Amino acid sequence: MATATLTTNIEKLKDLALEVFLLSPGEFNLDLKREQIETWDSLGVVSLAVGVQETFGYHLTQDEAINITSIRGLIAVLEARGISFDE
Amino acid sequence: MSSPTIDDLAWLKTFPQSAVVVWASPSVRARVIKRLPFSAIDSLGDIPSEAGTLVVAGGGSMMDEAKHFRARVRPDLRLILIASIWGSGAELSPVVVLNRGDAKVIATGEEFLPDAAVYWPELLASVGPDQARRACGDTWAHALEAFLSPLAADGLRGKLAILMGEMLHLPLAGDARWLHASAHACALQAQASVGLVHGIAHVLEHPCRTRLREPWGHARLCSIFLLPVMSLNRRESTRWSDLANHFALNEAAIWNVLHRLFEPDAYAAALPLLHENWAKILRNPCTRTNGTLIRSRHLEEFEHQVAA
Repeated sequence: MATATLTTNIEKLKDLALEVFLLSPGEFNLDLKREQIETWDSLGVVSLAVGVQETFGYHLTQDEAINITSIRGLIAVLEARGISFDE
Repeated sequence: MSSPTIDDLAWLKTFPQSAVVVWASPSVRARVIKRLPFSAIDSLGDIPSEAGTLVVAGGGSMMDEAKHFRARVRPDLRLILIASIWGSGAELSPVVVLNRGDAKVIATGEEFLPDAAVYWPELLASVGPDQARRACGDTWAHALEAFLSPLAADGLRGKLAILMGEMLHLPLAGDARWLHASAHACALQAQASVGLVHGIAHVLEHPCRTRLREPWGHARLCSIFLLPVMSLNRRESTRWSDLANHFALNEAAIWNVLHRLFEPDAYAAALPLLHENWAKILRNPCTRTNGTLIRSRHLEEFEHQVAA
C-alpha cells in the first residue's frame, strides 16, 4: 500500500526559502526579515519569484516581489491570493 | 547587421608606428601582424604611453580583459576588437567576464563597449572543428538561457526566438555567419540574464583546466552542459514548454542540436568536479537567475544524463 506524504504549504514555503536563500534548516524561522538574510538581494528577489511560481503556481508581480520584506510578508501576499497557510 | 571589415582599418596605416599596438592571440598573431604591421604586445601592461589605439584580435577572454583595461586604466585609448572565434559575442557586449585566480568577476557598463568591432571572417581558418562546434554551443547557451531567463520580457524572447530559428540553419562548424549570430545572442542576453549553464561553466572552468588533461574552456563547458541543464529545466518546470509553444520554437530541432553538442566522455570526466563544486555553483549569480529554481537535490539529476 502506498503511503501518502502530506506536505503543508508551510513546509513547502520553508523548503522554498531554504533553496532560494541558500539557508540551512536551522537558520529558518517565520519571523525572518529581508535584512537578516544576506542572499535576499536583487538576485534573491528574482529567484524567489521563480520559486513561488513553481511551488505555488502564483506569478508574483514585479512590485510584489520587490516589496516583500519578510517571510510573513510573503505569506500575506500568497494568502491574499487564496493560498492557505493554516496548520 | 553590418560591421566594419578589416578593409575599413586601412586608415590606421596613416598613423605613426608607435601610435598603434596590436594584441593578438597566438593562433592568429602572424596573420594579424602581416595585415596590421604595428608593434605587437604580449600583455596589456606592455602598451607604451604614447600609443593611442589598441587593436585586439582574439577570443572572449582577451577582448574582455582589453575592454576592462581600457575602461579602468587607459580610457584615452581607442579600442578596436576583432573576434578570432565566435561564441562569446564579447566584441559587441557591455559585459566583461574576467578570470581572477579561480574565480570569475563580472561587470557591466557602457564604458566597456569598444570603439569598433571589426569583422574579419578569414581569421576563422585557425579554428579547428571541435573548437568550432563548442563555440556554437556557447552561442546556443547565451540564446537559450536568455530566452528562459526570468528577467527577459516577451519582446526580447521574440527576438531570441527569431535568432534561434536562424541559428538552426547554421552548421555546428566553422561558418562566418556565427560571428553575427553570437554577437546578436550576446547583445540580447545582456538585456536579461544567463542561467545554470553559465553558473557551472564559470565555477568549473578553473578546476577543469587544472585537473583534467584535455583542453577545457568556457565554450566547451557551456556546450557539454547545455543538454543536461535544459533537460533539467524541462523536467522541473513548465516554463520551457510554455515558452517554446508560445514562441513556436522548433523544439525537436533544438534538442537535436543539444544532443550533437553533448560530449559524453568529457561530461563523465567533469561530473566529479560538478559534485565537489555544487555548493559554489548554487551560489553563483548566473545560477540564481536560471529560468527554473535550482535546488540542492538537483545535483542527482546530472547522474541521469550519464545513464541516458
